[in-house]
Amino acid sequence: MLKKALLMLTVLFLSILVACSGNDEESSGNNNENSNETENEENGEEEAANDADPAEVRIMSHFFSPTPPEQDGEIEQLIEEGTNTDLSIEWVSANNYEEKFNVMLASGDLPDLMLVPDPFSPVFRQAAQQGAFWDVSPYIDDYPNIKEGIADIAWELTSMDGANYGIPRPRPSEGETFFSLRKDWLDNLGMEIPETSDELYEVMRAFTHDDPDQNGEDDTIGYAGYVNPTDMGNMGVFEGIFTGATGQWKDVDGELIHTSLLPETRDAIEFLSNAYQDGLIPEDFASLQNSQAQEMFKSGEAGMISEKAGAFQEVYDTLKSINPDFEFTSLYPLPEVNGYNPAGPGFASVNVISKSVPEEKMKSILQMINDWMEDDVFQLHRHGIEGVHHTVEDGEVVINTEKAQEDAIGDFNQIVYVSDPYASSVKETFPEEAKELYKEIQDAREETSVPDVSLGLYSETAQTYLPELEKSLQDLKTKIILGSETIEAWDSLVEELEQDLDMQAMTDEMNEAYQAR
Amino acid sequence: MEKAKELDELALKGEKSKSKIKKFFSQIAKDKYLYLLALPGLIYFLLFKYVPMWGITIAFKDFSPFLGYVESPWVGWQHFQRLFGNQDFFMLLRNTLAISFLNLIFFFPLPIILSLLLNEVRNQFYKRTVQSIVYLPHFLSWVIIASLTFMLLSKSEGVVNQLFVFFGFEKFDFLTNSDIFWFLLTGQSVWKEAGWGTIIFLAAIAGVNTELYEAARIDGANRFRQIWHVTLPAIRNVIIILLILRLGDVMEVGFEQVFLMYNGAVSEVAEVFDTYVYRVGIQQGQFSYSTAVGLFKSFVGLILVVIANKMSKKFGEEGIY
Repeated sequence: MLKKALLMLTVLFLSILVACSGNDEESSGNNNENSNETENEENGEEEAANDADPAEVRIMSHFFSPTPPEQDGEIEQLIEEGTNTDLSIEWVSANNYEEKFNVMLASGDLPDLMLVPDPFSPVFRQAAQQGAFWDVSPYIDDYPNIKEGIADIAWELTSMDGANYGIPRPRPSEGETFFSLRKDWLDNLGMEIPETSDELYEVMRAFTHDDPDQNGEDDTIGYAGYVNPTDMGNMGVFEGIFTGATGQWKDVDGELIHTSLLPETRDAIEFLSNAYQDGLIPEDFASLQNSQAQEMFKSGEAGMISEKAGAFQEVYDTLKSINPDFEFTSLYPLPEVNGYNPAGPGFASVNVISKSVPEEKMKSILQMINDWMEDDVFQLHRHGIEGVHHTVEDGEVVINTEKAQEDAIGDFNQIVYVSDPYASSVKETFPEEAKELYKEIQDAREETSVPDVSLGLYSETAQTYLPELEKSLQDLKTKIILGSETIEAWDSLVEELEQDLDMQAMTDEMNEAYQAR
Repeated sequence: MEKAKELDELALKGEKSKSKIKKFFSQIAKDKYLYLLALPGLIYFLLFKYVPMWGITIAFKDFSPFLGYVESPWVGWQHFQRLFGNQDFFMLLRNTLAISFLNLIFFFPLPIILSLLLNEVRNQFYKRTVQSIVYLPHFLSWVIIASLTFMLLSKSEGVVNQLFVFFGFEKFDFLTNSDIFWFLLTGQSVWKEAGWGTIIFLAAIAGVNTELYEAARIDGANRFRQIWHVTLPAIRNVIIILLILRLGDVMEVGFEQVFLMYNGAVSEVAEVFDTYVYRVGIQQGQFSYSTAVGLFKSFVGLILVVIANKMSKKFGEEGIY
């Protein structure tokens, strides 16, 4: 009897499965038919599209503000009006967007327009190669704002086998995350802006031990640093100033070398290990979170952090509430250290259109992005609505910072953005003198800024090897800085890596791709 | 001749099984309403518990989301070979087992001792109050407990380290110290769950026949003797059943807790199967491989339950099935 029952169970199983998979095939078949049909009718419908009903678009993106914009809020409605769409936006916290994205991809239920945080991740590449997303490259010429608003280099770097599965999100390439410090503390101590790593160390030491806030208490720390389990967190910049490379690869005489093999990385680790011993970085850096480190800087406990100048508004507001005399320009982004500062690639992440969307709708999504980039729509994320988020006084826009932050109007930048070269350093809400200073510093940075040379290079071996490598490197770095391992352990790891076959294969593949570029 | 005999036998067998089927269906027909009543439950389990298990097949496939469960190519034992050939495998196994057995040794007996102690308290009000206080932490989430731990034990701001400094001792590194990480976890588990664990044991103790205590008293047994000779033997079967259930969970060490306490300095003692599956599967998107890892973990858990159950039956106790 038991056997019979089992048999019946199996039969039931199979029939359910067959039913499910059968449905799948049918529905995908339907999709194909649909897209064929629309292709045929396309010419006739094109003219009618302009005054058609608003297109329904499902969007998924991430947000950085404490709470995302309200569903169907005022701004969203105005954007819908301006782009002739009916949006339903799913906001996901940037803290775990990547995980959510992977799970969404595995489930197969994709929104129409979706943010891909890392267009070089194996998960995304695989899905794109199997045809999960539209290749938009044949279409973009029809949309002038998309074509001109996004740099050619961004399209080039994110292309895969000649196709552009993602629409890059334009971002300024200058003004990347780098050291920022308390200029008022520096002045209190009578010190100069540090230009070399030794001077930087001296500043960190003085910020920790010489009472830079002059309150007579030993309650400050040099640098609000933390590390993640698999990367250097906000202390990666220390490696950058030693190696002079942004990212994990450095071009040494035309050959790419993984930065872990460079002797300069060893110097950076020793620098940080000394800093830890002298108490210049938090004792708990290995178990701190990003938000906790930022809190240390915001509350006036730490004198230095790495941050974009564009993110200073919140820091300033908090410090101002503690000390009413605090000036905005006391937050000072360093132009360079050891003649180095990082440059961005001109884009950050990409948006993709799911292949389950028929061609006609794909076009209307592109049209939406194009319209959205128009000034009258895009201004909504910068200034909000007149009378609500800003007022116009003598022809000048005055933004109500509090209301704008409360409604998180800036989060819409995550979906569509029009790049302004100074956007990473300067925000609309900053006082005039801060705007000038930060623009000046950004201009100075441009002369020494170094981009990531490896971006967009593909290595098969790296897909499985690199995550493991990163983790084991980071484990050891953390331990050496904490003092539970000696720097000699690093030397022997580097020796091992030089002989490692996977490391050699990865380096060869990266160089091959690099030469082919 | 031989053939005919065989055929006869076959026919006989067929008839037998036919009559069996008949019997089966007539039984069902007799109690059809009862079976009908059970049907929704059965369908629920089939649909939501067993059908999704089909997804396990991706452990033997090279799963790609876009191709789907059915279309992805089969790869046999490839993912398991990768797991067993990986040097991380032994680290994962060691950490998982170490954390589990520390829990078994230090955490499992505590609720028993605690409930024996509570049982001896005569003032009901005091007993109830203590009982409530010790099981309240169960309702706090691990996130809260992790941040409490951080506030208490962190090196820069932790209360404990501040006290150490105040009394002139050196600061001690609790959170990024791989030597004590396992004990830190065990301590957290005890703090959170020991009180909750007493509920079952207290209920079992309440069911002990009071005449046995009277008899023991007449025989001159003191309090300790009564506990040893009456209470403990009476709740032995409960202890054993809970032990079996715990053994089945040896491979589960609580993802949230480990994940929240995880940091780079302790990763080699903190990485367990659950965090590994999360890191490789969800964060890096290697769905097939991580499913294989999860499947291996569940398989070992199943074997442990079966063994523990067999053992308990051998020692003359009731098992869980």
